[in-house]
Amino acid sequence: MGDGPLLKMVGITKEFPGVKALKGVDFELRAGEVHVLVGENGAGKSTLMKILSGVYRPDSGRILINGKEVQITSPRKAQESGIATIYQEFNLIPYLSIVQNIFLGRELMTNTAIPRMNYREMRVKAKELLDSLGIQISPDTLVKDLSMAQRQMIEVAKALSLEARILIMDEPTSALTSREIEHLFDIVRALKASGMGIIYISHRLEEIERIGDRVTVLRDGEVIGTKDVSGLSTEELITMMVGREIGDLFPRERVSKGEVALKVEHLSRRNVVKDVSLEVHYGEIVGLAGLVGSGRTELARLIFGADRFDHGEIVISGRRVKGDHNPSASVRSGLSFLPEDRKEQGLCLSLSVANNVILASLRRLFPHRITSPRREMNVTLDYVRKLRIAIPSPFRAVKSLSGGNQQKVVLAKWLCTQSKVFIFDEPTRGIDVAAKAEIHGLMNELAEQGAAILMISSELPEILGMSDRIYVMHEGRIVKEFTRDEATQEEILRYAMGGVGGAA
Amino acid sequence: MRREPNVSRVPVSVRRVPGTFYILIIMISLASITIPGFGTVSNLLNILLQGSFLAIVACGATLAIISSGIDLSVGTVLSLSGVVTGLALHAGIPIALAILSGVLTGLICGIITGSLVAFVGLEPFIATFGMMSMAQGLGLVLSNGASIPGFQESFRWFGEGVVWKVPVPLIIALVIVACIWWLLRHTRLGLYIYAIGGSEEVAGWSGIEVGRCKLALYSISGCLAGIAGVLLAARMNSGHPTVGVGWEMDAIASVVIGGTPLTGGRGGVIGTMVGVAIVSVLRNILNMLRLSSPWQITLIGAIVVIAIGLDILLRRWRLALEG
Ligand SMILES: Nc1ncnc2c1ncn2[C@@H]1O[C@H](COP(=O)(O)OP(=O)(O)OP(=O)(O)O)[C@@H](O)[C@H]1O
Ligand SMILES: [Mg+2]
Repeated sequence: MGDGPLLKMVGITKEFPGVKALKGVDFELRAGEVHVLVGENGAGKSTLMKILSGVYRPDSGRILINGKEVQITSPRKAQESGIATIYQEFNLIPYLSIVQNIFLGRELMTNTAIPRMNYREMRVKAKELLDSLGIQISPDTLVKDLSMAQRQMIEVAKALSLEARILIMDEPTSALTSREIEHLFDIVRALKASGMGIIYISHRLEEIERIGDRVTVLRDGEVIGTKDVSGLSTEELITMMVGREIGDLFPRERVSKGEVALKVEHLSRRNVVKDVSLEVHYGEIVGLAGLVGSGRTELARLIFGADRFDHGEIVISGRRVKGDHNPSASVRSGLSFLPEDRKEQGLCLSLSVANNVILASLRRLFPHRITSPRREMNVTLDYVRKLRIAIPSPFRAVKSLSGGNQQKVVLAKWLCTQSKVFIFDEPTRGIDVAAKAEIHGLMNELAEQGAAILMISSELPEILGMSDRIYVMHEGRIVKEFTRDEATQEEILRYAMGGVGGAA
Repeated sequence: MRREPNVSRVPVSVRRVPGTFYILIIMISLASITIPGFGTVSNLLNILLQGSFLAIVACGATLAIISSGIDLSVGTVLSLSGVVTGLALHAGIPIALAILSGVLTGLICGIITGSLVAFVGLEPFIATFGMMSMAQGLGLVLSNGASIPGFQESFRWFGEGVVWKVPVPLIIALVIVACIWWLLRHTRLGLYIYAIGGSEEVAGWSGIEVGRCKLALYSISGCLAGIAGVLLAARMNSGHPTVGVGWEMDAIASVVIGGTPLTGGRGGVIGTMVGVAIVSVLRNILNMLRLSSPWQITLIGAIVVIAIGLDILLRRWRLALEG
């Protein structure tokens, strides 16, 4: 490899109907560096990377690898040019096994007279990969049975199996908790040392100084600048990203809490949730911390009625939940649940932004069962403004939005219900710093107006900054309850990892 | 859906038999007890023989449905290729070539629908619906709306011959089922068909040439319908332009009864064979009971719904038991 950059993208432009996603972007990646790409939601980061990985063709611009111009016309071409991608949205097929997913498109065949799939060898290789990533799952497991975090790690395994020279990671940590992130960073460092060039996209700014070498900031499809990470302050970075100062990240004023809004007693389901009791009061934000797989999402699904529980009791707004507990009944009784998987449970991807926003509130907005486009429009525009959702029009299908903006639409959908009890599962996943501050502001506002909020988050600063009380889960049990003042990052982690009589 | 610490699970290769298998067993047991003559070797062999043709056609339908598509044209393509074979035989063309012409007719129909789906981007429902109508019309035109009867002995062997007491169509069907099973299980194309059914976007982003896979699978489906058409013509000693009416529905029903959901991405040909068996046994029972054709149609619809409904209940029950 010469001294020149490993990858050079010059003057890349890309226009979607109504949106200039990229306006002449230059980007450069050296071998052995982690180049972080940051920018607000909708800035064009994923689009730039999809051009590099052959999903989109640029309208103009050139791509050079090791100084030689390449035409990346398809995902396959990108793979052949040594580019591996971990996409922002999941890129696995649920009913195929881990092995089949990892090797999809590049299966190993036997060299018998009639070649057939060599699952034995693929399985061995997959096992090695999984082991090297510290994943203890049988490679024959179907992807549909994995949690979000596990899927994320499988994405990593899939990308690594390509043995590429350039690795694109589009928000790889948004579904991971600290332990897996540590692991992932170790892997990234090792890859970097081996001379791979890594493009890393994240909204978690603290990650930038931990593993980044250089950082490029995109805003509205343009490069604002490329800087060395050392010596760059977070404030400087944020100003580059959003072009203005943003408010306090965790603004907090708390009113006194009211009655019990949500009460769970001795709730159990098989061996995922074990004898969980908790309560959330009106006017209170309660954090639910824990490692991936600790049963947080499963607990939320039980409360919402998405799964059945074996034992225990749930009381929502003073009403005991009956046997026929289901999501639709929950929504009617004023419980909202923002799921962690926006693509599968959060949104109807091919419907418009407006349709998605009002979907859970039809009963409230149109009590006479007849919808009014005007009303729908006004309500939607209201949330678009409040949450700064970047869209050319509310009629645009949700699937054409950037990941962060999709997340904002899910939020808008549940805020629109004006429920009194909320469960938020990773509410700010994939959301940029500025918008995050606004969403936190909104959650505070909700609490001030008397809503009860149970918030699951893998970001400890978010948990610590937002919660009045914090429950920590480990292996399906609640192992500790903290008040706002007692909790520290270290203490929460200690309990989450089961360090303190975890099995008790 | 989310069971977190995953130690080890049933490997993919040991999939359970579809729940409808038990329904098949129950149907057969009940019928053997209550209907005289049902359980005889000759009747069971007859069911297998009748089922052979449907099995071949349903293999193609399975591929289409796993890819989350559908093939509505198999019934009329079957008729058309029977007609073409009949005309070829009557024109004095050698048997081998006549058979080939029938099979090729199916293949060409498949290639046309496949291309429409893969490269023009038509919905499979639309493309195969169009082909269904075209093949039907063409068959009627070519045959002047009448059947083309009377073939030589050596051709009829393919329909009514036996090898060691096993009917020839059954042998051919078994070979084809084995091939399709192998295709789905051990070849790239097979895996890609599942992948496309799971998520076309993900398949494409993984470097799979989605269009080519679709072309291939609809071609295979057409070709199989062609083979079934030739065999059926040999069996009935006539090429009939409307013999395949409704077969696409029997094929789709077999696939769905066999546990391959219309949304695609999973399922397989073994399940489809259970479905074929259920449909064939049912037709046989209804015939033995001398039910009129309208009643047969009514009952078959009911049984399809009941079978799939029971399967869902069984699965729920099993899930509850596991917990
Ligand atoms: N397929 C598409 N069709 C239409 N518009 C699109 C499409 N994909 C992206 N866009 C638009 O292009 C712009 C850039 O989107 P992109 O996904 O690149 O943003 P991003 O920087 O990755 O944001 P995020 O941080 O939210 O993931 C957005 O305005 C988005 O709505
Ligand atoms: Mg993005």
